[in-house]
Amino acid sequence: MHATSSASALRLPDQLPQYTPTSDEVELFELAYRSRLPVLIKGPTGCGKTRFVEHMAARLERPLYTVSCHDDLSAADLVGRHLIDATGTYWADGPLTQAVRHGGICYLDEVVEARKDTTVVLHALSDDRRILPIDRTGELLEAPPDFMLVVSYNPGYQQLLKGLKPSTRQRFISLAFDFPEPELEIEIVLSESSVDRDTAKRLVNLTRAIRNTAEHDLDEAPGTRLVVDAAKLIAGGCPPRAACRAAMVECLSDDPEITAALMEVVTAVFGN
Amino acid sequence: MEERIGILWHRLINRIADRRYPAAAVELDSVSRPVALLFRALGGDHGVALQAGDQTVHGARRTLRARLAGTDRKVDLAWVDAQALRLPLTIDRFAEPSLNRELYLWLAALCAHDVGPHLPWFTRNQVAAAAVIRDFPGLAASYRRLVEVSIAQRPGPETLAPNEARRELAIREALHRPGTVAELPAARRPPHPVVLWLRPEARQSVAPYSDNTPEPSVSQETSTVRVDKKRRRAEYTEAPERSGGLLLFRPESVFSWTEYAKVEHEIQENEDEDPTQVADDLDTISIARDQRSIAKKLRMELDLRPAEEDHAPVQGDVILPEWDYRTRTLKPDQCRVTAQPIDDAQPCGLPEHLKRSQRRLKKQFEALTPVRQRLKGQPEANEIDLDPYIRHRAHGRGGESRFYIDMRKRERDLACLLLADLSLSTEASIDAERRVIDVIRDSLFLFSEAMSLTKDRFALYGFSSKRRADVRLHTFKGFGEPYNATVRGRINAIAPAYYTRMGAAIRRAADILAGQSSRERLLLLLTDGKPNDADHYEGRYGVEDTRNALQAARRRGLRPFCVTIDQEAHEYLPHIFGKNNFTIIRKPSELPSRLPLLYGQLTR
Repeated sequence: MHATSSASALRLPDQLPQYTPTSDEVELFELAYRSRLPVLIKGPTGCGKTRFVEHMAARLERPLYTVSCHDDLSAADLVGRHLIDATGTYWADGPLTQAVRHGGICYLDEVVEARKDTTVVLHALSDDRRILPIDRTGELLEAPPDFMLVVSYNPGYQQLLKGLKPSTRQRFISLAFDFPEPELEIEIVLSESSVDRDTAKRLVNLTRAIRNTAEHDLDEAPGTRLVVDAAKLIAGGCPPRAACRAAMVECLSDDPEITAALMEVVTAVFGN
Repeated sequence: MEERIGILWHRLINRIADRRYPAAAVELDSVSRPVALLFRALGGDHGVALQAGDQTVHGARRTLRARLAGTDRKVDLAWVDAQALRLPLTIDRFAEPSLNRELYLWLAALCAHDVGPHLPWFTRNQVAAAAVIRDFPGLAASYRRLVEVSIAQRPGPETLAPNEARRELAIREALHRPGTVAELPAARRPPHPVVLWLRPEARQSVAPYSDNTPEPSVSQETSTVRVDKKRRRAEYTEAPERSGGLLLFRPESVFSWTEYAKVEHEIQENEDEDPTQVADDLDTISIARDQRSIAKKLRMELDLRPAEEDHAPVQGDVILPEWDYRTRTLKPDQCRVTAQPIDDAQPCGLPEHLKRSQRRLKKQFEALTPVRQRLKGQPEANEIDLDPYIRHRAHGRGGESRFYIDMRKRERDLACLLLADLSLSTEASIDAERRVIDVIRDSLFLFSEAMSLTKDRFALYGFSSKRRADVRLHTFKGFGEPYNATVRGRINAIAPAYYTRMGAAIRRAADILAGQSSRERLLLLLTDGKPNDADHYEGRYGVEDTRNALQAARRRGLRPFCVTIDQEAHEYLPHIFGKNNFTIIRKPSELPSRLPLLYGQLTR
């Protein structure tokens, strides 16, 4: 199982992971699940895509198979392969096959990073046939009603067109995620850390200011995750400036000129 | 003797009157990165550049000393317009460098957070200052420090006439508690300028040139060019008529530089006169065209109202739209692009001075030529890898499980279109022997050599423009052509011409590149400066149009990348291309050898 253990993590939800909806995404996801439709989630880094899927899996009481896709991930990593051990050759299901067999949610994070042949196996699963043919074993698995395919990608630096055929792409229910509105983001920071409201407000203000510069000066805009991390450091006793430097500024750029300039924005919010 | 005493008096009175601290001066250049980023962070417009603004005549009462010295007539104020965020070139107002620096940051914050731009000056600044302090409480302490020191430099109310004193008190109160003072009491003269606030709205300029003015002939002689980073207020005016009579007058009798008299008098260049100083003394520079060239040049950017715009559709084979950022529309049928085949070039070989670089490239690019790779320890493939299997047998259960060798061909399925800027600015010399255009020519040669090693599909184009109806695309090598002596001959024949209408050239190049079926398609732009043309295609307009053309290319699955030798590119390229899609070559002479390497890195 060495081959796939790095790419998959089976999570059987015990308690509901916290998630604050920004719009009607929870209802849409539930409807898609009941209508047996695959879901595509797009949005910037750290805006809560993975958290949302975990939350929904727990809510629907389905096991979640998460695969973080990378450029070396092949179809066999998803479907499964023959392995050899002391007793001989045996077949090991990949995370996608497991999800189909056991009726769970298979979540392919950053799907367009995967090699081109991986998306081929998704075609038959995402259309109304909902089947997974396994060439190696000659099996033809039919997905049970409680199986669901969820893929995500980041439109900021990934081109979906490269990986998915438009015909496949159109079979997905698409949910566009973005950073939450300031008031909501403050609530998220408050619920995820124990900082006071004023600090949460300043942190969110700072993040919004830094997001304004993202297109011009940064590789990517800071996600809600960074704000929450900074809030946790502050709640733990770290001075705000140091927390923002460690949890946000230094994570966003390696260019000393840019980090120095970002610290001016931190100063504008938290003072010296 | 008279002159000597005059100079001494000038120095003395200036020293007495001057309330500047040159030792504590902070230059805009030294703080441009943090200032620009803070401006964008606090909500400032991304498209505007950061520039040093000209000084503003304030018209307020001056001290006796200042009047005697003739100083303090103008003041450095900040403002933002459609083109740029204008801040003082230097701030040396306060004795502490940290305070001067804080003033820069404060002005950037105020310009970015100008929440009521349509309010009258007095209210608008209070509202903006209050909003900055409310939303960015970290700046409050810095603001209080600045208010304290700047009020200390203002004329005391006791020294002023009663109504001016009332007004001064109102301004001080507005500085201390922004947002609380509703009325600015009236007085005869304008108030003493408030350096913590934005500049009061400027007046409109007069009629500019029409679009049809004939091209000035370009002087071939070399002359000293100085670059002045300040932008100056300017206006167009008509050149005096040659038939006008000669007016004799004593220079001393001229009251002001700005009183533009429509008379002809020969330009006497004075070698000792500093043109920068003259430009500083003018409130508004009036420009008109004549046919003469001069030996001493000062290059500066002028705040001119753009020429009367003409947006009538053009006709022709290749007609492209253009983006107007002010209306946020893609105007159809704006540019005519004509292909310029180069037929008359003499075929030639690679120039001698590039032969050595060519040999070096050969070594460097061997790594990029397509080869088959053996990947060991794969979970599945066609060949057996014995080593892991032996380890597995030795360790027993739980050992290795990847027993195969995969032969994978590293495929390069790539098409690259190189688009070179051939505008007149490439005529500038970079050292004693070479001009920018020579560097671009060598780059095209070496790039082609490298490309023929990688076996990637490539095309070479150059562009220049003469207003929107005449954008020229020169084909050095199309995708279908082989790289041979004919292509080298065309590269050898390149010559600079006219302007840089980048958006149209990019749109056309993207059309050509999109016709290629390769998996990865790279649009490589080689340039030496900003987009500009002889009409309204200037400043923000050109920048936004180029940005729009690139976004469209990206949506078509193309990958644009810019290589520039413009040292100022940091100000505008991130906005046009995005942070990771351009590179600046510091030494232009390194471009030919760097370009192929860069291509290698981009496509690895």
